[in-house]
Amino acid sequence: MQRYYVLNKNKLINFLSFIQSRSKLAAPVKKGEKSYAFEYITDLEKIALHYLPTILPVKKYFLPQRETLIEFNKKTRKTTHVIEFEELTLFGVHTCDLVGMQCLNAVMVEDPKDINYLERKNKLTVIAFECNSYCDEHATCGIMRTFIPSSGYDILFTEFDTYFLIHIGTTKGSEIVNESRLFDVAQKEHFDELNKLRKRKEEIFKPEINASYDELKKLMERACCTGAWEGIFDKCLSCGTCTNVCPTCYCFDINDDIDLNLLNGCRMRTWDSCQNEGFAKVAGGENFREERKNRQVHRYMRKFKYPVDKYNMYFCTGCGRCSRACVAKISLKETMNLLSERIKL
Amino acid sequence: MKPKVAFFDFACCEGCQLQVANFGEELLDILEVVDVVNFREVMSENGEDYDIAIIEGSITNQHAVERIKKIREKAKIVIAYGACACTGGINAMKNNFEMPEIMHYVYKDDAKYFDTIPTKAVDQVVKVDYYVHGCPVYPKEFVDVLKCVLQGVEYKVPEKSVCTECKLNENECMFDKGLTCMGPITKAGCNSWCINNGNICFGCRGFVENPAKNAAIEVLKDHGLNPELIIKKINMYNTVLDEKLKKKGEE
Ligand code: SF4
Ligand code: SF4
Ligand code: SF4
Ligand code: SF4
Ligand code: SF4
Repeated sequence: MQRYYVLNKNKLINFLSFIQSRSKLAAPVKKGEKSYAFEYITDLEKIALHYLPTILPVKKYFLPQRETLIEFNKKTRKTTHVIEFEELTLFGVHTCDLVGMQCLNAVMVEDPKDINYLERKNKLTVIAFECNSYCDEHATCGIMRTFIPSSGYDILFTEFDTYFLIHIGTTKGSEIVNESRLFDVAQKEHFDELNKLRKRKEEIFKPEINASYDELKKLMERACCTGAWEGIFDKCLSCGTCTNVCPTCYCFDINDDIDLNLLNGCRMRTWDSCQNEGFAKVAGGENFREERKNRQVHRYMRKFKYPVDKYNMYFCTGCGRCSRACVAKISLKETMNLLSERIKL
Repeated sequence: MKPKVAFFDFACCEGCQLQVANFGEELLDILEVVDVVNFREVMSENGEDYDIAIIEGSITNQHAVERIKKIREKAKIVIAYGACACTGGINAMKNNFEMPEIMHYVYKDDAKYFDTIPTKAVDQVVKVDYYVHGCPVYPKEFVDVLKCVLQGVEYKVPEKSVCTECKLNENECMFDKGLTCMGPITKAGCNSWCINNGNICFGCRGFVENPAKNAAIEVLKDHGLNPELIIKKINMYNTVLDEKLKKKGEE
């Protein structure tokens, strides 16, 4: 299989139209000065090729904010498993968000498998877009090494002055590229450019945290139940934003809804957050994480310690969304740096 | 037999009852499952029988105290409907002043003719079974509450902030627009109604259960709001909740 192609920039519109003829298309659009969101695209002009990480990560397309799992009838006692899915192509997914998808995959394929998630993932085509420089100061994709494309895409776009260099990740990606007839096979000069770019990127993206990649877990273990967190979360409002926007958070709540006639109903799943007051409450009103500060420490452990033990992966992609969106201006980068100052490794 | 529902007004603007008229088609579905026997002040509370009393408004004088007690005796279920009934609402702002001072401010020399007490939420006088928060109420939540009433199960007001719903709706955050917003410390349940429509959250549903009040004041200060205004913003819908929190803290 030919792996590398070139697409002239003026053919991008044709390519995206071709995608639209095959499936629905979702891509980033501008929502405000600093806000972008992945949305279904009808008007190709709306797509923002260069964008700050979107308000919500692409997880919303395979683990939707709200979804119906089961429909039931109280009289007949019949239940039906519901999966709503569609053929969808995501265009412009940043490399950090690819890693977010890989984290969720690791969780969802485990038994009991999340069938709804997996079905939706199956129908998804992912076209990634590599960043050539930092999106903003909140990103920590340098230390997390997520500024470099790894895997998890069908097609990868890398941008140069007049063209995109294309890397094919899967057979599906290869089919799309061939069928569109818009691409040329990449030549030596293109590979030279790619090597130069990747070297330049190693100079631009540097560890943003004063610890090595491998030390991050140790940092958490040492900090966990100590005073090292002192003062860091004093302004946390437990609003839940940092988890809702995180590409690797997947906690949800399940509720039943029923029609007014109390006959037909459905079981719904909605995103939940460990920052919410009710999250760790159990029968009798006991709350395992009553203190806001402890909920934040838990969040950090859920990114840099527990998933490493379980899946051998950090569940932080360095996307910076949690810091960018926090109204209390609590920054992951600053927090990690403060911990590394306070803790002897 | 359909349960009989009666609406009762206390101190309020009746805007929440007006919401019922905005239900559109859903109203017809509602009328199929309940019998409305008393709407606005058309009938007296001693008139017809009712199973479910929907209370709009806060308790602001002795007469209202007696009246709500009578309603409670008669009703099987009491629903506090709207911010005034659930949390005292805007009416409770007066509790931040000395009673004679605020009475004189409103009624001038005629103040002596009015019997008024510090504003109370309905549950400060009688037991409340269900709450429909908001100023005005969010129609979908009212229907959700009604379904719980009909099934005889508890309705749980979401124990999370308006931000959680706002994020699920992927709105641009008001703080990113250079504005401030009460969403982070206000209870969810309205599906971030105002932000979806381009407005900030005023906090009309009241504080989340365990609000980070001091932190919120600091955060709003960091975003350039002056401290006096912050307190006013918070008091607008939270005076009674604040009184309750203080009491809980003292216990
Ligand atoms: S976004 Fe900020 S204020 Fe909100 S829960 Fe997270 S850390 Fe706390
Ligand atoms: S913890 Fe923050 S920076 Fe890390 S993946 Fe989640 S949102 Fe992104
Ligand atoms: S965090 Fe890094 S990889 Fe992600 S969008 Fe920003 S620059 Fe790109
Ligand atoms: S706009 Fe308001 S409710 Fe929405 S996320 Fe921002 S602070 Fe929260
Ligand atoms: S967004 Fe805020 S002000 Fe608007 S209805 Fe909801 S709680 Fe009330």
